[in-house]
Amino acid sequence: MKKILLILAVLACIFTAGCISNPYADIDWPLTLAGSDGNEKVMTVSEIAALPSVSGHGYAVSTVGIKYGPYEITGVPLIELLNQVGGVHEGQTVHVSAADGYLWVFSYEQLLGEDLLCLDANLKELKTPANMTPILMYAVDGKPYSYDDGGPLRMATMTTEPDVITEGSLWVKWVDRIEVHG
Amino acid sequence: MKKTLLISAVLIVILIILCSGCIAEKTVVKVIPAGSLLLPLDEIEQEYEALHPEIDIQVEGHGSIQAIRQVTDLNRSIDLLVVADESLIPDMMYREGPDGVNYTDWYTPFARNEMVLAFTNESAYADEISSDNWYEILEKAEVKVGFSNPTLDASGYRALIMMMLAENQLERPGLFNTVIGDSFSPALVVNKTENGSVVKLPEILHPESDGKVIIRDSSMFLLSLLESGGIDYAFDYKSVAIGQGLRYVELPPEINLGEESYADIYDNATVNLGFQRFATIGNERTGLPIVYAVTIPYNAPEREEAEKFMAFMLDAFKEGGEGYPAPL
Repeated sequence: MKKILLILAVLACIFTAGCISNPYADIDWPLTLAGSDGNEKVMTVSEIAALPSVSGHGYAVSTVGIKYGPYEITGVPLIELLNQVGGVHEGQTVHVSAADGYLWVFSYEQLLGEDLLCLDANLKELKTPANMTPILMYAVDGKPYSYDDGGPLRMATMTTEPDVITEGSLWVKWVDRIEVHG
Repeated sequence: MKKTLLISAVLIVILIILCSGCIAEKTVVKVIPAGSLLLPLDEIEQEYEALHPEIDIQVEGHGSIQAIRQVTDLNRSIDLLVVADESLIPDMMYREGPDGVNYTDWYTPFARNEMVLAFTNESAYADEISSDNWYEILEKAEVKVGFSNPTLDASGYRALIMMMLAENQLERPGLFNTVIGDSFSPALVVNKTENGSVVKLPEILHPESDGKVIIRDSSMFLLSLLESGGIDYAFDYKSVAIGQGLRYVELPPEINLGEESYADIYDNATVNLGFQRFATIGNERTGLPIVYAVTIPYNAPEREEAEKFMAFMLDAFKEGGEGYPAPL
């Protein structure tokens, strides 16, 4: 009887460990954050996923009208992530660059969810802007974001309401460096 | 006996269905065109597939630079690239790829376009605007104009180039700033040098809140805004305005970027984008005639089929149609 209990306990441990194991632990994708003072910090996806996160809706459209989503997305608000390297302030810009040589620049106001465009399902501009938050996304529909789709780290504009479509140009794929300028 | 015959008949039918499934597998030809070609290519794709049911033409639109990057930076296997700026192909593709072979070493120019001022019946001064007074209408404080984001869309930086050329060619000092430059914070400043006019954009293009100038990511969103009355006039390509059924004002050839013979004049205006969006191409854009071109990348999986479709497409553009850029 004791033997059976011991085996069951071992099995329970194995299964539990499997369930709670970190799905980001094996992802080899260092992200470099550079503050406005030049200080840099390199973080793993696992470390980013351990930061306080937000989840919401993600839905983007390309410049030629191809829709991507809707998704349930999870990530860290960019403005909060940059607190790791001294934060970002009014008048500064944030350069988000990617492994494929792509770069996009965000204003401070955009990090606050301002000066961003949003559209309805018919791609007509919403007169009243939705609540939008640029995030560094690492999970979609509860799973690590795949490389083929632009992961493991991708910029995204998260909305609290569903079916709000945002500008795809801001959804930088394969993010590997974020710098604060100014 | 009857049962055996019935089973045999059923088996034969199943076999026929399965075999027809096998031979119905289509050959996929991946085509990446510039956004301003999506409307004509949709028609051309349908015509071609009707003639060749064994071929599946898959069209995926992008801005011209992004279209080329699908091959050069993202290593995708694409059969045909069709771009709205012929100079991009030698600039970005006449170099070795990972296999030690050039991404391509040829291209075929096949059509041209020109910048126009698109508007609707509801636009302010719609009944007055003409090719002679368009700049006076745009100068009015209450008239709202729009163009695509120059960092994202070639028609955006071409709008800025066109307005710099207009200021010089019409000998109307301050025209660029009255219509566009002063409506940004900070204002856009045109520097005039012996090599022509140059405007350097800030990292973030931030239009003033008075709404005189509005920018959108691409032509598609800009024209949607025009149709809903959010702006009165939009700078865009002539073929796009026609394709959308919009009214438009034609602009003089010395500023519309549509005539090869005026290339020396177009060369006198340059836009420096606020940041280098792509590592593989710089951020300076100088005025050039708008010429469309096509190429087949070195690693096209269906080269033979791509060549056949390209020939069909070039014939279609030669023939032309509503919303097609003009043949060369």
